[in-house]
Amino acid sequence: MDGTGDGTAVTAEADAILELKGAGLIIGSREILRGIDLAIAPGEFVCVVGPSGCGKTTLLRLLAGLMLPTAGEVTYRGAPVRRASRDVAIVFQDYGNALLPWRTAAANVALPLETMGLARDERAARVETLLRTVGLEGHGEKFPGQMSGGMQQRVQIARCLAQSPSVLLMDEPFGALDAMTRQGLQDEFLGLVAQNSVTTFFVTHDLEEAIYLGDRVIGLLPNPGRVGIALDVGLPRPRNQLTTREDPEFLRLRRALFDFIARAEA
Amino acid sequence: MRRARLATLAASFLVAVGFVLLWQAIADARLVSPVFLPGPDRAWSALVDGFQNGTLIQKWTGTLERMVYGWLLASALGICVGALIGISQAARAYLSTTIELVRPLPASAAIPVAIAFLGLSESMVLSVIAFGAVWPTLLATVHGFSTVHPRLYEVATALGMSRLAVIRKIALPHSMPDILAALRLSLTIALILSVVGEMLASRDGLGSWILLAARSFRSQDLFAGVILLGVTGFVSAMLLNLVEAWLLRWRSEGRR
Amino acid sequence: MSGRAAQRIDLRGMVLPVALVAAAELLVRSRGLRSDAIAAPSEVLLAWLRALVDGTLLSATAETLACAVAGLAIGFTLGVVLGTIFGLRGLVDELMEVTIEAIRPIPPVALIPIALLVYGFGYRLEIAIVVFATLWPAMIFTRTAIRGIAPRLFEVAKALELSPRERIFKIVIPAALPQIFVALRLSAAISLIVAVTVEVTANTIGLGHEMMMAQSSLHPDLMLALLVWTGVLGWMINAAMLLAQRLLFPSSIAERTGEAAR
Repeated sequence: MDGTGDGTAVTAEADAILELKGAGLIIGSREILRGIDLAIAPGEFVCVVGPSGCGKTTLLRLLAGLMLPTAGEVTYRGAPVRRASRDVAIVFQDYGNALLPWRTAAANVALPLETMGLARDERAARVETLLRTVGLEGHGEKFPGQMSGGMQQRVQIARCLAQSPSVLLMDEPFGALDAMTRQGLQDEFLGLVAQNSVTTFFVTHDLEEAIYLGDRVIGLLPNPGRVGIALDVGLPRPRNQLTTREDPEFLRLRRALFDFIARAEA
Repeated sequence: MRRARLATLAASFLVAVGFVLLWQAIADARLVSPVFLPGPDRAWSALVDGFQNGTLIQKWTGTLERMVYGWLLASALGICVGALIGISQAARAYLSTTIELVRPLPASAAIPVAIAFLGLSESMVLSVIAFGAVWPTLLATVHGFSTVHPRLYEVATALGMSRLAVIRKIALPHSMPDILAALRLSLTIALILSVVGEMLASRDGLGSWILLAARSFRSQDLFAGVILLGVTGFVSAMLLNLVEAWLLRWRSEGRR
Repeated sequence: MSGRAAQRIDLRGMVLPVALVAAAELLVRSRGLRSDAIAAPSEVLLAWLRALVDGTLLSATAETLACAVAGLAIGFTLGVVLGTIFGLRGLVDELMEVTIEAIRPIPPVALIPIALLVYGFGYRLEIAIVVFATLWPAMIFTRTAIRGIAPRLFEVAKALELSPRERIFKIVIPAALPQIFVALRLSAAISLIVAVTVEVTANTIGLGHEMMMAQSSLHPDLMLALLVWTGVLGWMINAAMLLAQRLLFPSSIAERTGEAAR
């Protein structure tokens, strides 16, 4: 089943850069996901929330190409996703396991650049730029073991940006960090995304974070995982930790999501 | 804290010296026949003489060369085969049973077979050393490869890294702690088998030298040789520890 | 993954050994290869049976095992005692550090000529070397195990006002036992290896000696038969110790350290 997706747009969805059409996943006798229809437009920031075990992470792994759907299809730029690729970068929650502990931060960020065949000086320059972008200037020679959780996560983000991806998939990236670090990273990340106009798919269990960051918030229902609610976030950008969170629209969305989760977990 | 450590080391050193003095006293009092137990003074002078007239240097170099070549060969083999098994399901399926069958065999038991094939030659000794010293490194490499977190393999796939790149940049560095520990062990094995090989095949080295000294009742030469072998074991272990500390500095620096 | 897949992998592992044995048999038989170094697997089997029947196999095995076991018993016990002392008395450990580190690196085989001088050929020579070789792993493992005992347990001992003897037998040893058993497994393997090594190198008894005799008298079938037998012995000892460990210490900690020690 090959999608063409080459300009003959019938609906707005045809512009989608990343799309799930009726995607489902059955492992053994368990149905993890069912009938997921989702179209993500280029440059869009989509957040996904849901109770524990609803399949958020599985959904992300399908989009990443780390798993293949047993029903429906997952397409990237119209073509079915068969394997993970450099264009779709994944930021994992367990940054400790995703970084190479024996390489410095700079060397970690350089890893995709090595695979892409860049020359040494080019790599060094690019790494420096990327480290500056994530606010780790001067920390390039440290090993992950010497860095805090927030710094390590930033290294991972920098490495993903080194892939020059069109899409960023993020699996609860700030989940393991303390609240203050998390808020700081949220704003930094929004800045990054705006700068590089990267399409972002962001999984989180933090409802407020989802609203704060996203253009759209999708809520999944559990057993099996399916789309329960889709909200458009009509809040102005750039977002602000204080003012945005007090905006009546923010509060309305928050209410809606809380109710949804409460019903979903019941 | 360093000063306390130096103090205890010094005290420990003094205790060791005390033992040496005890040794000297026993030897002087002839509590044990000097045929069996030369005093440290005689052993020391035998050591000095041996170095001055060059025989000990020659023998020592012989043992060292054998040990190092055999160890290098075994390590290269162990890492390559281990990597192959680590990265390829097929290789593991075909090879693991054979490895499990051959592993419990003492390397020295293979010596008669090696002699049958290669005679009392240098290559016999080297192949026995290689056979004995390959196991720790091989097993450590396989084990190391199997403990790489799946997340890292996912990252590698996403980046489109070739299999060789995965081995070089992810699996091998990850396995380094295990491999280095194994290299230390295999070096010990290499030294032992080197000495055994020398004793059996009368190759030029400390092994044959101390055996000859025993047969001619030259106990001071015997002890001098044994001391040298102990020093060899000690220094080689220390060197490897230094290499390990340098290669794995990302681990110690990571301790926050 | 179903059971069928697991079975398939099992068979694949047998391909190589079976192929090698078959190839050896064919080569020797078809080419009429008469060599001093190679024998057909069938001949090896016959030689093994012959040795079994005429008693050489059993007596040689008994000799090797006797030396290995005796040496292990003495060396391991000594090692555990020393390890316990060093583990409990940090001062003694530190004072003895230089002496131990000076003696430990001496390859056990280097002591063969000395033991040869003192004991001549025979059991005592071999046992002495096995003792020296099995002592060190036992000592180190025991020391580490005892150092690793949670300080909380020692506080409990103090609170219960246990005598030193009671403390050692009721708290220290049981706590350190899993790791000490791992050391026993390691030392057992070492004891066989060292025993055979001494026999091959210098001694006049045991399987190693018989192998050398078979080689020098140009009986490759007997030599290979003894080789395989020694491997089987080693495998059996390891398997037995592993089984004992699983039965006595069904905890994952012992398994993990055990895997590393293997």
